[in-house]
Amino acid sequence: MSTPDAVAAQHGPGRAPDGGLAARARALTKAYGSGETAVIALDAVDVDIARGRFTAVMGPSGSGKSTLMHCLAGLDTVTAGEVWLGDTEITGLRDRELTRLRRDRIGFMFQSFNLVPTLTAAENITLPMAIAGRRPDGGWLDQVIDTLGLRDRLAHRPAQLSGGQQQRVACARALLSRPELVFADEPTGNLDSRAGLEVLGFLRGAVDDLGQTVVMVTHDPGAAARADLVLFLADGRIVDEMARPTADAVLERMRVFSGGNPRC
Amino acid sequence: MLKATLRSFLAHKGRLALSALAVILSVAFVAGSLIFSDTVTRTFDRLFASTAADVSVQPKQDLKAPVPGAAVQTLPAALRERVARVPGVAAVRADVKVQNIVVIDRHDRSLGPTTGAPTIATAWYAGHRSPVELTSGRAPRGAGEALLDADTADKKHVRIGDPLTVQAQPGTFRVRVVGIATFTTTNPGAALVFLDPAVAGRELLGSQALATSVSADAAKGVSDAALKLRVGRAVGTGGYDVRTAGEQAESASAALGPFLDVIKYVMLGFAGVALLVGVFLIVNTFSMLVAQRTRELGLLRALGADRRQVRRSVLTEALLLGLAGSTLGLGAGIGLALGLIRLMSLFGMNLKATEMVVGRETPVAAYVVGLGVTFVAAYLPARRAAAVSPMAALADAEVAGVGRPLTARAVAGAVLGAAGAAALAGCAAATRTAQAAVLLGVGVVLTLIATVVAGPLLVRPVIRVLGAAFPALFGPVGRMSQRNALRNPRRTGATAAALMVGLALVGGMSVASASMSASFDRQIDKNLGADFMVQNANFTPFTRQVRDTVAATHGVGLVVAQRLTQVAVRLPDGRRVQTSAVGYGPGLDDVVHLTYAQGGTAAALADGHLAMDAGFARDHGLRIGSPLPVEFPGGRHTTLTVGALTHQDTAQGFGAQGGLYFGLATFARYVPSGQDSVLYVNAAPGTNPQDLRPGLERALKPFPQVQVRDQDDYKHLVHDQIAVLLYLVYALLALAIVIAVLGVVNTLALSVVERTREIGLLRAIGLGRRQLRRMIRLESVVIAVFGAVLGLALGLVWGVCMQRVLALRGLRELAIPWTTIVAVVVGAAVVGVVAALLPALRASRMNVLAAIAHE
Repeated sequence: MSTPDAVAAQHGPGRAPDGGLAARARALTKAYGSGETAVIALDAVDVDIARGRFTAVMGPSGSGKSTLMHCLAGLDTVTAGEVWLGDTEITGLRDRELTRLRRDRIGFMFQSFNLVPTLTAAENITLPMAIAGRRPDGGWLDQVIDTLGLRDRLAHRPAQLSGGQQQRVACARALLSRPELVFADEPTGNLDSRAGLEVLGFLRGAVDDLGQTVVMVTHDPGAAARADLVLFLADGRIVDEMARPTADAVLERMRVFSGGNPRC
Repeated sequence: MLKATLRSFLAHKGRLALSALAVILSVAFVAGSLIFSDTVTRTFDRLFASTAADVSVQPKQDLKAPVPGAAVQTLPAALRERVARVPGVAAVRADVKVQNIVVIDRHDRSLGPTTGAPTIATAWYAGHRSPVELTSGRAPRGAGEALLDADTADKKHVRIGDPLTVQAQPGTFRVRVVGIATFTTTNPGAALVFLDPAVAGRELLGSQALATSVSADAAKGVSDAALKLRVGRAVGTGGYDVRTAGEQAESASAALGPFLDVIKYVMLGFAGVALLVGVFLIVNTFSMLVAQRTRELGLLRALGADRRQVRRSVLTEALLLGLAGSTLGLGAGIGLALGLIRLMSLFGMNLKATEMVVGRETPVAAYVVGLGVTFVAAYLPARRAAAVSPMAALADAEVAGVGRPLTARAVAGAVLGAAGAAALAGCAAATRTAQAAVLLGVGVVLTLIATVVAGPLLVRPVIRVLGAAFPALFGPVGRMSQRNALRNPRRTGATAAALMVGLALVGGMSVASASMSASFDRQIDKNLGADFMVQNANFTPFTRQVRDTVAATHGVGLVVAQRLTQVAVRLPDGRRVQTSAVGYGPGLDDVVHLTYAQGGTAAALADGHLAMDAGFARDHGLRIGSPLPVEFPGGRHTTLTVGALTHQDTAQGFGAQGGLYFGLATFARYVPSGQDSVLYVNAAPGTNPQDLRPGLERALKPFPQVQVRDQDDYKHLVHDQIAVLLYLVYALLALAIVIAVLGVVNTLALSVVERTREIGLLRAIGLGRRQLRRMIRLESVVIAVFGAVLGLALGLVWGVCMQRVLALRGLRELAIPWTTIVAVVVGAAVVGVVAALLPALRASRMNVLAAIAHE
């Protein structure tokens, strides 16, 4: 639906994409169940995620936005179509390869933080690298920790951290391995508005200052407004997109798709 | 409420199934042992009742000290005539029946059962009282002919016409098998040889004028009891026991008692272990179910259920579990009894499975045990459930039950532990056996309870140490598994407790048995000077020909015979003590090293003299030269003079009380039918003992009942006998471990469910399936090893204290079987790996997305 050129053209000056796609999907279809009772969650979706940009995916509940993210991230299998991460086609990969791919090339943030409660903040941040048996780049680790303001929280267990702090730890964990793509699933959903803004600021910063690529699923128009590009999903299809969004414009657009109820 | 309980019971049936298995196992052992012993008792009652004569006369059993293969007690065969003249006697006969024989086929193999059941030679009588009937061939006529029972003939491949050699006390004779007799009822497992009554007395007892009992059948209209009175009057009850058929059957059944008791106690031991470990499992399961359902229980409370209703709901669930477990356990028990009956028939005891007796008390016991144990085990968790506040409905589920402080446990554990330690210290310092044993028992129970109570407190420090190497060895996976094991100390402690109990028992028993072995080794080294011992494993006596054969073997220098008999001594303090005594042949000093306090071997073995332990003599006011009245079997008695006093380590306990011994000449005078139990053999000067051995073994080939042992062989024999006890303990351990494994599986399975979201996350950020499985496996291993370390530490302390008690009885060596202990720790790690198999598989199969979204 959106070619690199089109995206570049839409975004105009200031933030030219540094070339190429972080991920793309072609005719991505996901159905649950089979036969007459089958529910189509994604209906032949084509999507391109530009490298070095902050993309938000919006849509009402059941629109397939989480499914889209899960399929792009290799967490879920697809019914038909192709998904590429960089130059790698991930559809058809087996579990072990997918696990390695997630470990080495993708970062995750979840709505409910999902930290390991027995590990300290520092151990949680380095966990994916430790699982891979790699040492984190010391300078990069320091930069991430300082950027996210976690320096004096490193020895704390998740239970001793506030929600915002926990999500910052999750963010640091996602960024540490310099993944090709960071997926954030409703990262502000469980946070109060101030902590939410803070986390969005860090994601924005990760794209602007650290050159990361971020895909965020949200249904908060305010959150979506911090992205470079918003994709709107409805009934398993991408129905619209908006570059350089504002909260009001997004809210307006949502109202159109969801028949007056912007929340869901 | 009941509906909610039922729903919940069914919803958790997977988890409850593991607990149910513990109930099933213990109930099965209880029911199985009851059914089996009922069946055996009933079968033998029937056998004895059908074979016992209406009235029988036997020599009075005056001495009952346990000496294997004691001399046969006889009565004059002429007693038959006196009984025959009693009015009301329809038929009478003198029976000859002995067990002190060995029957050998033409390949020099013994026909005796390998199970320890006796070989019986008896005079042949056909008739309705006989337990056998002639099924082929003909009855034996005169010397040189015999019948053999069909089971033995079958097992040992003996056919009509085959020659057999019978080694009897009066002498060895040869017979030809002329017929086969088959049991009409249950074969109790013995090997039977039947001889012509006209020669049986001479061949088996040395004279046709002797018999072992006289049986009389009552004439019509005369009751057994009435006839017993008349016969008693005729023969005099001073020297004879006169019994009716009923009494005879009873005493025959009672003779089976020890055998049945052993089986019963072993089975009840298994049931006990299953129960003990099962209680932990059930407590743990219900605690976890309650913790898991905290929110649900809070909701019930918020909706208006009162505490009692919640408690009752949990207890009802437990009762349902107990009911299901008991019912299945009862069925399993019937299967177990069936298996035992089959097993017995493998050993030659042909019980009929179709005649299995399920007494009324069996199901009662099964349900009492099954329901009782689940109810008791579920009571505490039920109380905890009732204490859940309605606010819990709103709180996070995992928090409940973890954070509560362990102060109460710390205090109770410390108090009990201190009391237990004090008791054990007292035991170690005690000087009297009885006192030490009581303190040991108290100490063992208290320290066990203390460790169970304080277990959760020990989780943190011990697992910190045990898992310290995990992060270095296994990276983040190791770190997470160590932390997971520490996550809920209460649960980890309770899970490990089940394993701990079993291993503490084994630790203690293995230290005790290793110490016993080491002590016996030392005593053998110290006391035994002979090159070889000729004897059999269970000290049953053997024919005189063995001694003659050994003495005639080329290269043999000295042969010293040892005989055993039961005696009773009347001590100066008026007490009559029944014990056993030993007769030694001349040359004793060359084969056994005895330490004398006073006197020497010559004085001890001199005619009319005896020797005893100096401590025993002191305790009972005897000194050198004291006269001591001694009673021998068969009513013989005399007064011997104390000739020597010795220092014997085991005189108070494992040896016979008093350590009495005297010369073989004295022995032969008062126990004329005695046989040798041991021969001590020295090589002739100039003959290398190792060169002598092959010749000795060749010469003894016709005597399969004895073996040649040098000192190392003898040590092995002693070790093997101690090991039998240990094997039983190992079997108990195996059961305890099986149940403990169920507990670990249970805990891990629940942990996996509780941590679903966490596992999903770990998988999402790149933890491979194999790494995830390893994480769970390591957690399981560390829990199991924790239980093993705790159990073994406790068991070592117990074992050392047990050894102190044994030391009071002369077993002074302390030996700690380090290899066993290391093996048990390694075994525990394996147990951990096995227990983790299923939960780990389940965790690794989880759908990542579903797991992350899991509430």
